[in-house]
Amino acid sequence: MLKKYSFHVTGTHCASCKILIEDILKGEDSVKSIEVDLKKETVEIETESEKSAEELAQILTEKVKPNGYTFSVEKNVQEKKSDDTIWKAIPIGLAFLILFFILQKSGLLNLGIGGQTTPVTSFIVGLIASVSSCLAIVGGLVLSLSAKISQDDISDTKTFFLFHAGRLASFAILGGVLGSIGSAIGINFTFSAVLGILASIVMLILGLNLIGVFLKNKITLPSGIFQFFRKIEHKTFTPLIIGFGTFFLPCGFTQSMQVAAVSSGSFMSGFMIMFSFAFGTLPMLALLSFGSASFAHGKHAPLFFKSAGVVVIGLGIFALLAGLAGLGIINPLFNI
Amino acid sequence: MNKVASIIVTLGLMIAIGIIFVGKSNSEPAQNVEIKNGIQYITLNARGGYFPNVSSAKADIRTKLIMKTSGAYDCSASLVIRSIGFQKILPQTGETEIDLGKPEAGKSIQGVCGMGMYSFLINFI
Repeated sequence: MLKKYSFHVTGTHCASCKILIEDILKGEDSVKSIEVDLKKETVEIETESEKSAEELAQILTEKVKPNGYTFSVEKNVQEKKSDDTIWKAIPIGLAFLILFFILQKSGLLNLGIGGQTTPVTSFIVGLIASVSSCLAIVGGLVLSLSAKISQDDISDTKTFFLFHAGRLASFAILGGVLGSIGSAIGINFTFSAVLGILASIVMLILGLNLIGVFLKNKITLPSGIFQFFRKIEHKTFTPLIIGFGTFFLPCGFTQSMQVAAVSSGSFMSGFMIMFSFAFGTLPMLALLSFGSASFAHGKHAPLFFKSAGVVVIGLGIFALLAGLAGLGIINPLFNI
Repeated sequence: MNKVASIIVTLGLMIAIGIIFVGKSNSEPAQNVEIKNGIQYITLNARGGYFPNVSSAKADIRTKLIMKTSGAYDCSASLVIRSIGFQKILPQTGETEIDLGKPEAGKSIQGVCGMGMYSFLINFI
């Protein structure tokens, strides 16, 4: 006999969670149909099982627990707990932002590197760039995407590996191309500034999402669109393309290196300059992405996501205001 | 952590951020403007920002801006001056001469770096 049950579900932090839960439970023989309602945080199940509602909730929870969801007959009250996390996360996030901006203001990063640009100097420039204001855009984007990917429980390490590999490879190859074409190519300021503004908007949205602002009034798009995004998220080429895209993000250091590659005059030397530069930025960016993966699977995950959200929003605002000033839309508000 | 303590810490940190952003860096009124053979030269150093940040120069005289760089790889090397349609990545080390024409009195020229976090202003009096 077919019976209908309704459970409360917790842990549905993302819009794709609906699809994930439905996919997992559709594989169960005893479950005839399933419908997740993200707004109400409930799940409707039709089953032939003779077990009681409590038992059923427990059995099904076992299936989705690895993904961080739990079903219960009674509504779990966890509001208070998450309220506390945000109050811890805001000071932590702000402290990181302050450290970052003090570092920028200190002038420690402005060491002059003279002479010819060699792979060694471009590696050092890469190391400096990875903690400079470029971190506000590239690092902020990496941190927000990494945290989001880890939160959605996709095979994150593989994705991060692909991102970094794509970044190194595209920097090297594009560097080589710049070197062989020579002065023919112009690096367009407006194009990269617009790209930077897009990146900062992505950061702001993901940051708000990480903090959980969207949690209460989750925006639910038709699941067809989410299926599409989910497919893209899983595709191998997506992290590769994002890695490729970082080449064009506005960053003074990257642009200087591109010019150095252009004037280097040969494919090989341009290739080596851009590769060593990207290699120099790798330690910091790898720390951000793999670090967030390890935090995301640890017990401090909620605190980490919220703190990361605060940092990403701060950097996003900074990058957005700077980007608008760079385009001449607003007056520069600061000199950092 | 106590919620009240957290809020106090947060407010403190916000004020610190405010000081970092609004606080004026020591913008020494350097002697960066000189007139040679009827042409006014304004010299700015670009590395980790533009120095001096604000300068004032004479109006109605042929003016050239000289951007000095030495080992500048950061954003200040990618310079944009929208009002005269100038955008270029300055050489890592060297001097770049930019013709500003004959600026009118009361006009000012603003330059920003490609990402927009560094800027400078020249007022013509």
